[in-house]
Amino acid sequence: MSIVLFSLLLGIPFVSAIVCALSPGRRVLESVTATGTGLTFLSALVLAHEVLKHTFLSSPNAFFYADALSALLAAIVTGSAFATALYSFGYLNAHVAAGTISAGQLRLYYALLNVFLFTMVLVLLSNNLGFLWIGTEATTLATAFLVAFYDTKRSLEAAWKYVIICSVGIALALFGVILTYFSSVTIAGSSSPSLLWTTLMIVAKKLDPAILRLAYVFILIGFGTKAGLAPMHTWKPDAYGEAPAPISGLMAGGLVNVALYSLMRFTVLVNKAVGHEFTSTLLIIFGLGSIIIAVPFILLQQNIKRLLAYSSVEHVGIIAFAIGLATPLAYLGALLHMLNNAIVKLLLFFSAGNLRLAYHSKIMRRIEGAVHVVPFTATVFLIGVFAVTGWPPFGLFVSELTIVTAGFTAGHFLPTIVFLVSVATVFVGFIYYASKMAFGSSEGRERQIDSTPMTRILLAALALLLLCFGLLIPAPLMTLLRNAATVMAG
Amino acid sequence: MPIIDQQTLVRSVDILATGILVTAFLIISSKSLTFYVRLFAFQSILLGMLSLVIAVRYGETHILTAAVLTFVVKAFTIPLLLNKVIDRIRVRKEVDFSINITVSLIICGAIVILSNSVAQPILQVQRAGSLFTTKVLPISIAVMLIGLFVMISRKKAVTQIIGLLTMENGLFLSGLSITHGMPLIVEVGIFFDILVAALILGLFVFRINKSFETIDIAAMRSLRH
Repeated sequence: MSIVLFSLLLGIPFVSAIVCALSPGRRVLESVTATGTGLTFLSALVLAHEVLKHTFLSSPNAFFYADALSALLAAIVTGSAFATALYSFGYLNAHVAAGTISAGQLRLYYALLNVFLFTMVLVLLSNNLGFLWIGTEATTLATAFLVAFYDTKRSLEAAWKYVIICSVGIALALFGVILTYFSSVTIAGSSSPSLLWTTLMIVAKKLDPAILRLAYVFILIGFGTKAGLAPMHTWKPDAYGEAPAPISGLMAGGLVNVALYSLMRFTVLVNKAVGHEFTSTLLIIFGLGSIIIAVPFILLQQNIKRLLAYSSVEHVGIIAFAIGLATPLAYLGALLHMLNNAIVKLLLFFSAGNLRLAYHSKIMRRIEGAVHVVPFTATVFLIGVFAVTGWPPFGLFVSELTIVTAGFTAGHFLPTIVFLVSVATVFVGFIYYASKMAFGSSEGRERQIDSTPMTRILLAALALLLLCFGLLIPAPLMTLLRNAATVMAG
Repeated sequence: MPIIDQQTLVRSVDILATGILVTAFLIISSKSLTFYVRLFAFQSILLGMLSLVIAVRYGETHILTAAVLTFVVKAFTIPLLLNKVIDRIRVRKEVDFSINITVSLIICGAIVILSNSVAQPILQVQRAGSLFTTKVLPISIAVMLIGLFVMISRKKAVTQIIGLLTMENGLFLSGLSITHGMPLIVEVGIFFDILVAALILGLFVFRINKSFETIDIAAMRSLRH
């Protein structure tokens, strides 16, 4: 069973990518991508179901491995990819209709979207920490041309910065991986050193603590760069700002979680080997730093997608902060927040994409009176804004409340208060811009056709999910979250 | 009886590693883009030879594979690719500095001293039997940091690629010295990633050159805040 599931999860995106690269027409590209991502999502749900029954699945050579943590992330990431595929159709067809992109570009887009999904799934299912690294670097390479998709000066600049900064970051992470490997070489009497996470966890207590601490610093900088933790976040507003809206959405909803996942695996290992104080201190500092640094940029922002990028920096900070608190409740909050943040980022970037199509601009003061021009998009965008700023009854309220509670119970009063103040300030900034965009004067603008029916259904579904997770988390999901939190506790 | 005894191994590894460090310094003091690429190719050949020596001494096939890959990918394919890029873009082939050569060399000297102290805690837990590490590990860290310095202080897009690749060479050397290299499949994957990264970055240089009519990354400053 495990072999079949792993093959499906990795094979479907891989085959879809090849078919897309060779396929001639738009219809084929769309149906292959929709079916491919849909089936991958389905496989991830089956994987989650299996993991709930058997605790973990492993390939016979232990190369691939899935426990509750990987299954949860696989479901989030493949689900995000499915939503991105569905949104891409309407968004790109609007470009095709306007004649701004060519058939070749369309083919490249869908092929790379599938490659992107493949690389993310590879990270999530690898038990081998070396492959975890290879997959992460591959995500950068897969997204390089997607960020540069519009082939303008700005998008080239953004893509160049993105690839260079992330490659340097991830090169530093490789040094961390090498050191981790080295820490297992030094075990006396060990016949074969290992890079397998499961093996390392068994011998964790025997790994050299000084080497592991050093390794973790490099790992945190490396995967932190990929996740967009401050101060390594500088590529993020550029890349998210210039990439097509669906790609920005998948990067903020999927890729960020994949990078955090890698960081979490190493954190669990180091926590088990040397205790959690070391990683906690670092994660709380970097997490809180990211939250704080995002605040002024959110308050003084002109570009809607860059605003959302800084919001992504903020929320990555929140998740890192929660992991740093290192209590079971905090882990639960972190995982729940990863889920909610993914959904809200998809919703926001997709509706920002709709606004861009309607107003031909990403500059917020040029987007006014959206409730009259594109009422549906304006509504879901506002829902997204309230959700992302942590208002009840949406999912992020619950996850942030969980994290705050965990912060106070763990005795981290000052950091938690700083966290609360920052989140409140961000709310002010968001509401100011959102209300101007939604309710400003729509003079001289006609009401426009508000995206395709499929896009509207998708956006409504995302908004509904946010509401649902704010009111009631389904029992199987709750069990999966709890089990994943147990994995994180070591 | 191994083909190479321990003493010869230590000596040749030391010589080759020193050569790698010297090429890193030559890159820092070089003014021409084509020379950058040649130096990187030469550095990769030294790295390949170093892996070859270790592979023969310990009879480890996965290091042998890594050595072959170093020759094929880093010493041949990537330099070929970068030379094509440089030939095709019609720009001045001199390197632009934001930090001049003299200051750069002093900084890199400081980097070597720093690397030596960074390596000490790692060396203290070193298992007996891989004696050559004592000098190679500090060198590998220095090469990594010099690569990073090239990326920060040189303004042409191609020089940034060379900086990144030099970093990778340093990383590879560090892996070789403290762990005898990563498992084969991981090594192959890393080589694949590096090759693809060099390809993509090379293509970007083309497109940047087309749009900006320069590959000076200082011209790319439209994205702020």
